[in-house]
Amino acid sequence: MLNKQAYTRLGEAVYQTTLANGLKVILVPKPDFHKTFAVMTTDYGSMDNEFVPRGSTQSVRFPDGIAHFLEHKLFEKKDHDAFDLFGQYGASANAFTSFTQTSYLFATTSKLRENLDILLDFVQDPYFTPATVNKEKGIIGQEIQMYDDDPGWQSYFGMIGRLYPKEPLHIDIAGTVDSIDKITADDLYAAYKTFYHPGNMSLVVVGQLDPEETLSWITANQEQKTFAPNEPIQRVPSPQAEPAEIIPTTTRHLTVTRPKISIGIRGFDQVPTGRTGLKYSVAVSLAMDLLFNDTSDHYLRLYDANVIDDSFGYDFQVQRGAHFAQLAGDTDQPEQFVKELTAILNDAPAQLQAAQDQFELVKREAIGRIVGAINSVEAIANQYDGPLFDGATIFDELTTLEGLTFTDILPAAEAFLGQGRQTVYTILP
Amino acid sequence: MHFRIRDGVTLDMLPSKQFKTIGIKVDFVAPLSVDAITARALLAQVLETSTAAYPTQTALARQLSRMYGAVFGISVLKLGTKHVIRLTCSVVNEQYLDQFAEEQPLFEQAMDLLKAVIFEPLLPAGSFDAPTFTQQRQNLLAAIKSLDDDKQYLANRRVQELVFTEPAQAMSALGDTEKLGRLTATDILQTYHEMLANDAVHVAVVGDVDADRVQSSLATWPLTDRTVVDASPYYHWDARPSVTQGDDQADVVQAKLNLAYHLPIYRDDPDFLAAVVFNAAFGGTPLSLLFTNVREKASLAYYASSSYNPFTGIMGVQSGIQAQNQERVVAIIGEQLADLQAGKLSAELLHEVKASLLNARLAGLDSPQRRLTGLLNTQLTHMTEPLKSWQAKLDAITVADVQRVAQKVTLQATYCLHGGDQDAE
Repeated sequence: MLNKQAYTRLGEAVYQTTLANGLKVILVPKPDFHKTFAVMTTDYGSMDNEFVPRGSTQSVRFPDGIAHFLEHKLFEKKDHDAFDLFGQYGASANAFTSFTQTSYLFATTSKLRENLDILLDFVQDPYFTPATVNKEKGIIGQEIQMYDDDPGWQSYFGMIGRLYPKEPLHIDIAGTVDSIDKITADDLYAAYKTFYHPGNMSLVVVGQLDPEETLSWITANQEQKTFAPNEPIQRVPSPQAEPAEIIPTTTRHLTVTRPKISIGIRGFDQVPTGRTGLKYSVAVSLAMDLLFNDTSDHYLRLYDANVIDDSFGYDFQVQRGAHFAQLAGDTDQPEQFVKELTAILNDAPAQLQAAQDQFELVKREAIGRIVGAINSVEAIANQYDGPLFDGATIFDELTTLEGLTFTDILPAAEAFLGQGRQTVYTILP
Repeated sequence: MHFRIRDGVTLDMLPSKQFKTIGIKVDFVAPLSVDAITARALLAQVLETSTAAYPTQTALARQLSRMYGAVFGISVLKLGTKHVIRLTCSVVNEQYLDQFAEEQPLFEQAMDLLKAVIFEPLLPAGSFDAPTFTQQRQNLLAAIKSLDDDKQYLANRRVQELVFTEPAQAMSALGDTEKLGRLTATDILQTYHEMLANDAVHVAVVGDVDADRVQSSLATWPLTDRTVVDASPYYHWDARPSVTQGDDQADVVQAKLNLAYHLPIYRDDPDFLAAVVFNAAFGGTPLSLLFTNVREKASLAYYASSSYNPFTGIMGVQSGIQAQNQERVVAIIGEQLADLQAGKLSAELLHEVKASLLNARLAGLDSPQRRLTGLLNTQLTHMTEPLKSWQAKLDAITVADVQRVAQKVTLQATYCLHGGDQDAE
């Protein structure tokens, strides 16, 4: 029943199966660990704000922030709160919503079966009423305002919004105080029925566990429940901005001590599907390391010229339907910061060639970073990207990275950076 | 395993096959003082940049990459009456690497790197490299100023300033911008020599490495015997009879409300664990009274929590609210404390809070960083509490114990950072 993939050198193994109801189960035993971490994820995030509700034929545009609102409300039941059920066993529970996914999780050092039942049961038994929905509006309103006061958050999501001016990515994941005010209990049920079918979900459990036993617990829980046959989800494709429609520059004033800049690059190339997509993703990340990490010649030159400092950082990420990179930092020379970094980006092929002798170095560093992350049950679980790269895990990422050569990264970097479009988001004091 | 390496220098070994890495931590511990905080923060920043053998941060960064992405850093922290310069270095255990053909294992390379950083800094002509010094002073200045961009941090700092009359307690661990501006490379060199000669040094290693290897690496470090004055790590202060109030206007959408309480129970107090339980029940966990009543029942906030510092005897409460709700929120917070002072704590919540503290302690064993950093508490207090006896003590804590702690808690200050005139609505 369980398909085992062993990674012998690492002393790790991944067990996977798909239950009769469609739920994907991924189990990673860590016998020396005290903790078990479980995360249940649906492929539904803030991007998915227009779709045909299950059982209906008409598409509906839902209020912004509904996926995140649903995440908050799923914990509350008629006569109890799921937080308290986890609390009886001392487990810590949480949840988060991204552009493309919503995840529910717990960490425990005892009573794994009981906690798994609580997780499966609260996620699979929605209870929404007008009263409970209204009560949440004040709490989420304060969550939104908390992020309004966070310049780092504003800079990051502001940058993404300028890269995706027509797509739902330009809207705050939590929505706005006005949009969440329109959310009703019926809306939550419609979204729930569409996206929370087990066939659209995964359950990843990592840590102290026995795979066969854990699977039998999960199966027993699921066999008690009946689900409608799964149907394909009909998302209404969101409008897509043309490359020319990317908003090139934005300047805002906030109470910050120094200018804060975020340069975004949106990919317009096609990310390959499956494991080839994983290879592409790892290759672009390595290219970014070669160009911008602290072992590069540019880094030292810009650091010594006080154009960048220790606040400088960058990352690249691929999500369903979107892939982008960010370069960000605080600087007293905002114009130089933008000029220097975009010059490197725009000359990437030659810059990468020039840095070829550093390739083995940045690859070693990337390998060490992933091996180190295997210490963390959370990192292993959260690294699972679901359908994005055909169920790839952190161990597959490591294998891909180990096999990568310098000649792999040039075409990936050229496709991403060459066809990509940039935005500059500046926050000034 | 605990070893005395020299007078004032200790080594703790946490052998474990649980991790893919080997982690090293070196703490230099000195008495906390206003002058020391700033100078030592700058020293840490300069030492982290380069060494004689790796004279630029690129050279140092490349060495770390060569060591398969060794994670190296120096941080500073304040703990009660102590100031700590903490070096950490974590390397992969090479048995998990696909191709590892080097002669020296990564652990020994990491020990050599730490030795280079600590004992062989970049000192051309006997003084810290001038461009490095000037640049790092500027960077630290910018970092201290940027701290206030985080408005939750700023509100917390302000409430501490209202409570602590001792400037070293109110100050950030990174120090003070005014003092920083006056520091010279010569000052830092003196701070460096004082650190090497006088600080208590606590080395700790976690991972699959035996004590012989650690000790033979450590034997090459030129650490001398030192006389460490074993002063109490606890900062004692007198509660004031009245509550100090403060507020400031800033460009914020949400008001940041912070309260500070005197909670004079330190780690060596028989009631220490009861105080930990008290804090967890009051506001330290998502099951707590503050979370339940301020957030879940009244819908007034997204976050409402408390934190307790058993080295300084202070407990803080923080929440993000609408400014016009301040009185209501302060009243609800006050009611929760009054309830605990009256012994109103449900058996359920007490049980949940204990279970979550046990869960957190066990989960901490799965983090190499937490295992290393947790050792400093023992080193400063000379107290250890093995899991079994700790758990027995935790189990034995009653509502009356929590009530006794709650009755020692007094509100000292309230502070609100808000977006405008609070009387406007």
